[in-house]
Amino acid sequence: MSNTIDLLEAIGKDAALRHASAEDLGKVLEQANASDALKAAVQAGDSSLLGAELGHKPMRVNHDSHTGGHEGEEPDHKDDQDHPQQPANPVPSDASHA
Amino acid sequence: MRVRLYQALPYYRAMNTHLSAPANSTTRGTLACVGLGMTLGSHLTPLARSHIEQADVVFAALSTSASEMWLRRMNPNVHSLQPYYGEGKSRQKTYREWVDVMLAEVRAGKRVCGVFYGHPCIFAWSPRTAVNEARAEGFVAHLEPGISAEDCLYADLGIDPGRFGCQHFEASQLLFYERRIDATGYLVLWQAALVGDWSLTRFETGPAYKQVLVDVLSADYPLDHEVIVYRAATLPIDKPQIRHVTLRDLPTTAMTAEDTLVLPPATALKPNQAIRQRLRILDEAHSLA
Repeated sequence: MSNTIDLLEAIGKDAALRHASAEDLGKVLEQANASDALKAAVQAGDSSLLGAELGHKPMRVNHDSHTGGHEGEEPDHKDDQDHPQQPANPVPSDASHA
Repeated sequence: MRVRLYQALPYYRAMNTHLSAPANSTTRGTLACVGLGMTLGSHLTPLARSHIEQADVVFAALSTSASEMWLRRMNPNVHSLQPYYGEGKSRQKTYREWVDVMLAEVRAGKRVCGVFYGHPCIFAWSPRTAVNEARAEGFVAHLEPGISAEDCLYADLGIDPGRFGCQHFEASQLLFYERRIDATGYLVLWQAALVGDWSLTRFETGPAYKQVLVDVLSADYPLDHEVIVYRAATLPIDKPQIRHVTLRDLPTTAMTAEDTLVLPPATALKPNQAIRQRLRILDEAHSLA
């Protein structure tokens, strides 16, 4: 069986495969001896079907805390308190977030 | 030997030219924070890949476990930053810890690469901070851009931000501050799933919070105005997710942190007659000169 990560990379960088129909991509993956999970994910158009094969690892995607009322703040890594606090006087930042 | 047509082109010749970098004679640490792009296999730049492959240690804040596994193909010494998140733990503390753990390796003389999904400067505090602090301590540090969710949004929705203009806000900023919305251009709202969260401990708020956002937006947009809920493809077997809802229905529309709101223009551009007249006078003066 071919490695699913290798196949995903191959699909991602090939113009003919990246936008191929599910049917066409399914034939290519069949020939490439892809895993049943990858073939099922492509057929269903649902990448969550890869979860069992790749691991159901929850991933957080928020990487910024300097918005939402905390624009002018500096995190204090020496402060072990994790209690949520509402900023008393949130100060607009001149920092760019774009 | 048969030479293909493309091989005669200078660009393709350059692609196959390999140079040897000078040997690193110093043990000083370095830091590069790079973007992995949004879609596995499609978006990683050659320079970002080179930073990853040449690093002694790689730290990763990515959006899918598949991307982390892909990253380990480029460099086996990958440390995920995901475990630093915690339920009820302020994200401010998490992001400070990310900076500290990267800089500790730089100070130890390592070539360090921080890899962030999308673009390392967009809605990501730690890469910028780590690079700034590394430079302040005299280390060589780089930020390398990646294809961001914003880049994908323009392509997938067919939007040119130059046509009518385009404002971007973190959604909560619209609630916490008095911002001026220009409804003649596009409005893009990021992190709307957790709109109104002061605490930095939640990853979603809920319908009541989104209703506050709708109430704020309704000052500039009718409630039947179309809102696009957009999510870029992260795996190459995915398609971008594009949902059309009315502003009125936004509170009951399911969203996650990956979703972005796009509000198309609600009103037509209004000509500025006074400035146009002033420019006409200038044109006439220049044509007479």
